[in-house]
Amino acid sequence: MKLIIKNLTKSYGEKKVLKDIDFTFEEGKIYGLIGRNGAGKTTFFNCLNEDIEIDSGSIILSDEYGENRLKTEDIGYVISTPTVPEFLTGKEFLTFFLEINKDRLQEEKTIDEYFDIVKISKSDQDKLLKEYSHGMKNKMQMLINFIANPKVLLLDEPLTSLDIVVQEEMKQVLKKMKKDHILIFSTHILELALDLCDEIVILNNQKLELIEKSNLNTKKYKDKIIESLKEEKNV
Amino acid sequence: MFNILKMTYKIDMTYAINSFIYSIKHLPIFKDLFPDNSLYKSKKLKAVIRILGILLSSARVILYKILYFWTIYMIASYLTPKNITTGILHIYFIFTTLGIIINNKILTTNTKKYFSIVLFNMDAKNFMKANFWSDRIINFILHSICLWFLIKSPSIFIFTIFMFLGRFLGERINLLYYKKYKMPIIYNYTIYWTVLFLSLGACLLPLIDTQVSKEVVLVIDMIMIPIAIVCYYGLVKIDNYKLIYKRMNTKVAALNSNQSKDYSRQAIVDIKEKDKKIDEKKLKGKKGYDLFNTIFFERHKEILLRSAKWLAAISLLIIVVVGILMIASPTLQKSLNNFLLNNIAWFVIIMYFINRGAIITQAMFYNCDHSMLTFNFYRNPKVILNVFKTRLLTVSKVNLIPAVVIAIGLPILLYISGGTTNILDYISIPIFIIVLSIFFSIHYLVIYYLFQPYDKNMKMKSITYSIISAMTYIISYSLTDFRMSTTMFSILAIIATVTYSIIALVLVYKKSPQTFKIK
Repeated sequence: MKLIIKNLTKSYGEKKVLKDIDFTFEEGKIYGLIGRNGAGKTTFFNCLNEDIEIDSGSIILSDEYGENRLKTEDIGYVISTPTVPEFLTGKEFLTFFLEINKDRLQEEKTIDEYFDIVKISKSDQDKLLKEYSHGMKNKMQMLINFIANPKVLLLDEPLTSLDIVVQEEMKQVLKKMKKDHILIFSTHILELALDLCDEIVILNNQKLELIEKSNLNTKKYKDKIIESLKEEKNV
Repeated sequence: MFNILKMTYKIDMTYAINSFIYSIKHLPIFKDLFPDNSLYKSKKLKAVIRILGILLSSARVILYKILYFWTIYMIASYLTPKNITTGILHIYFIFTTLGIIINNKILTTNTKKYFSIVLFNMDAKNFMKANFWSDRIINFILHSICLWFLIKSPSIFIFTIFMFLGRFLGERINLLYYKKYKMPIIYNYTIYWTVLFLSLGACLLPLIDTQVSKEVVLVIDMIMIPIAIVCYYGLVKIDNYKLIYKRMNTKVAALNSNQSKDYSRQAIVDIKEKDKKIDEKKLKGKKGYDLFNTIFFERHKEILLRSAKWLAAISLLIIVVVGILMIASPTLQKSLNNFLLNNIAWFVIIMYFINRGAIITQAMFYNCDHSMLTFNFYRNPKVILNVFKTRLLTVSKVNLIPAVVIAIGLPILLYISGGTTNILDYISIPIFIIVLSIFFSIHYLVIYYLFQPYDKNMKMKSITYSIISAMTYIISYSLTDFRMSTTMFSILAIIATVTYSIIALVLVYKKSPQTFKIK
């Protein structure tokens, strides 16, 4: 499975944010998307997720059914500030979600087993989502995206608000998930990207660029990424 | 489809029940009684509240309908006192036609749709169908019952069938419009106001002895049947409902949530692209907070100046139309003369609705004070008062644009309607309108500065602010029943508003340096 982006262009007024982007993301990899502030990472995600209109170009999913336009059903989007139905308890939210999506679920687990994936305790399950911390809301959002099992999963700074123990657990979940999916993970934390992602892609000067690791060690690879970000900024 | 309806209903109910338990739990007595989350788990308690909820929500729907038909009845009894039945059917037909164009269901935004489609991943097309049909059927039944109560004649079904079928066309047109312009028709102010005015004008047709007859509507019904079928076919052929729902509802859902910072700023008080660039000439020679204020108001031209100009234009149009209609109808002359001389208190609620104060203060917070108040220099008492002064002037000027039109128009209408022997009325009415306009400008700004109601997450925190806002509406509305001679009322109102304004301004000068901060 491949996610093929061809000539993707997006501007806001006169400001070009994405310009003729050509890039192919492949199944089985987690891509770390890195860019400086305002480089257009969220815009790029919003274009893939069809939250905004693109000016030109195409976003294609190539899989066993051939090459088709990426549909909104194929994407999951974990945003950094999740919006959840605040007056449902965690358990009710998940129960309703499972009931609505029962025909699409690949494997059926019990509610407790699902909660166990994101380590939400029994006592927290009966709390209103309104009373959940930011990190816990994020966990719920991740959980329903794991269950929904979309082909492409976009993650916009999803781990930043989680404590380090949960961060570690989530990383394992994402690593397990990558097998049949395309995961694109946007972050500002280079260490996190290097630790979790298989490929590093930078978004700068309105373009996506894959930074090859070749034979470099982590330190040299890190320097190369930072240099690329700086260089492009001065173009 | 039924499954979707069942699930939506279940989620809605659970949501409502939990909100209820949450508010009960937060009352002082219950807070200590139920410190944990056991209440949300309790099935028995939820079952009881569910029954109560079903009763209440059904009662609310029915009550709204009764209110709607009561309004129609009242208008009809005013316009066609001799034959109320024809008047009711005429107005019902016009209101229904208006609703078909501007009150579409698929494209209205709400958080529920966001949760259902984006979070719960419901099948979007089935969601559309389920909601469309349930809305059609419930409305058909309720409208038929209500109309039957008013007019006990089978001919009402000709009209309710029109209501039933019309929505098919309305939704289809709206989605075609959305496909082309990426927004629903009602977002186009020109179309919205034109349709609204044409409809209001059409409502007045009985005054010149013209109304829609049941024969005409019967023919329209016949034509509407094939049109509705074609339109429904068009509706179900659309494949990207998920995308449509997502685009329409994401902002509004985020806006209603706790963590709404990013979206709310965009959604409520979007700055138009063309307003981002400010003409250099307008900033020339300006310094300090004057410059700061000018930039703010220039950037918000859309919600300030343009909408005020629109309101002025609409007011002018109404005045002209009513003026012309009056010349044609002596009955209208008499009623309007009576209205202007005895019911001037109605203009309190009219001016309340015309005033842009509430939205301007919201824009001030979301796009400016929200971030500026985190800086120490901005919280300096001198700075607060300076900015307040400049803002008050600008807001008053903006609100005066439509107010002046009304202030000039009303005495002219009074004159055409037969005039008054009391010359004082010609002077007191315009002063009253202008004072009201200034009063609302001051009022909103003052309560904003005294109770700055938002916290750093833009969540409304001040109960006092909410109560005062609600009271403003309630008082303005309750005055509509107030009958007193125009001269007397205007003079009393002028004294009251001037006194209030002076007290309020003094309070702002004394208190706002302490109260104007992020909660």
